[in-house]
Amino acid sequence: MRIKMNSIYRRILREIEKEVEVHPNYADLQNQYALLLMADGRMEEAKAHFLEALHLNPKYREANLNLCFLYMEEGRWAEAKEILLSELRRDSKDSFIHHALGILSLQDGKRKEGIVHLQEAIRHNSYYREFYKRKGIWQGGTIQFNQKSLGILKKTHLNYHYAQFHNLIGLFLAKSGRSRQAVAELKRALKLKPDEFIFYANLGTVYYYQGDYPKAIQSFEKAVHLDPSYGMGYANLSFIYGLMSRTKEALQYMKKAVQMNPNYADLHYNLALLYSDRKRYERAILELKKALRINPNYLFARINLGVLYEDQKKWREARREYQKILQITPEDESIRKRLERISS
Amino acid sequence: MLREDFVIQSEIRRILVRSNVDYSKISFGTVKGVVYLRGTFELSRLYVNGSSEGIIEFTKKNLVSLEKKIRSIPGVIDVNFQLVNWKKEKGQWVSK
Repeated sequence: MRIKMNSIYRRILREIEKEVEVHPNYADLQNQYALLLMADGRMEEAKAHFLEALHLNPKYREANLNLCFLYMEEGRWAEAKEILLSELRRDSKDSFIHHALGILSLQDGKRKEGIVHLQEAIRHNSYYREFYKRKGIWQGGTIQFNQKSLGILKKTHLNYHYAQFHNLIGLFLAKSGRSRQAVAELKRALKLKPDEFIFYANLGTVYYYQGDYPKAIQSFEKAVHLDPSYGMGYANLSFIYGLMSRTKEALQYMKKAVQMNPNYADLHYNLALLYSDRKRYERAILELKKALRINPNYLFARINLGVLYEDQKKWREARREYQKILQITPEDESIRKRLERISS
Repeated sequence: MLREDFVIQSEIRRILVRSNVDYSKISFGTVKGVVYLRGTFELSRLYVNGSSEGIIEFTKKNLVSLEKKIRSIPGVIDVNFQLVNWKKEKGQWVSK
């Protein structure tokens, strides 16, 4: 694999290289650096950094798959297969892994085994049926190859890598404030791998940075459609609707986010704000209590709770919350004044 | 009429993620238009170059800018900073 490295890509490679020197123990940086090295054709260096990422975080799926595709590029089928099988042991229904195993088996000349995995990919995710149809290998309800379609399919393992590369470049450009170029890179990633929810989520984030809320909503909606368990996707949708002052939709999405991530105190806190804004105080108090059960030192949740009690003239409860806040931040004058006012 | 706290909270979130601030070290809340920010104010790891004086000056500028942006959000009545590494003295930000 080699991507034509233009000046932007080279600059990013240099910057990430510097970051790796400063933070050698960040697995994500090691993986990103390796991805760029691989794009530059520096395979041995890339391999060393993927392995370092996996050393730092042995469960790092992305780095594991990147390493697998590096091995596939080098025709090291057994090593690549071992990685895919290790991922399959974590989730036997992972359609992408079956797809990759199918391609690997075909590359390795194991046609029957390859067909079984491609069928499994379709069985677990209908996206692959459409994908194989487009590639001309799903015809009349079965998988069929000719020389041309087989040749095309064998190259598709590179899509993952190219897609990861463009996603990384997109994220980096977004962080540097170059949103328009970031969007172009992320769209390239999505063209190569349209079933990747995280690419849509990243695209949504860039639109969110830009202030293009309708497009941000569209992207996050696609992300949660592709992966309904992506809880933070619902939270992001809620925040975007909040920015548009559309709190009815914000409430619906925040409820869903809380349902998906019941142990995130911050989400309970935000849900409480939404209830409180709609004057549904009992529900707000309930959510604040949940946030505080998860994190008893969640100061803002306690302040909101105290103020809500005070509004409802529940003086004893309000005093209790204010006293607890002052134990955490004795210097908070506004809370001290509130406490004095309801204590006199 | 007071602006809704959740709307203010969403605006602060967007300001923080778009800034150079390492927002993983900052927590924030909104109570009836009063915004609270708490934690360590640092710039993200992309901005690690420069002398220590330069970094402090740059961080201070970012802090002033952040405060200005938050105060300009419609509905914000006051901003209460509880930072571990910065404090306000006579209207000026100084590092602790």
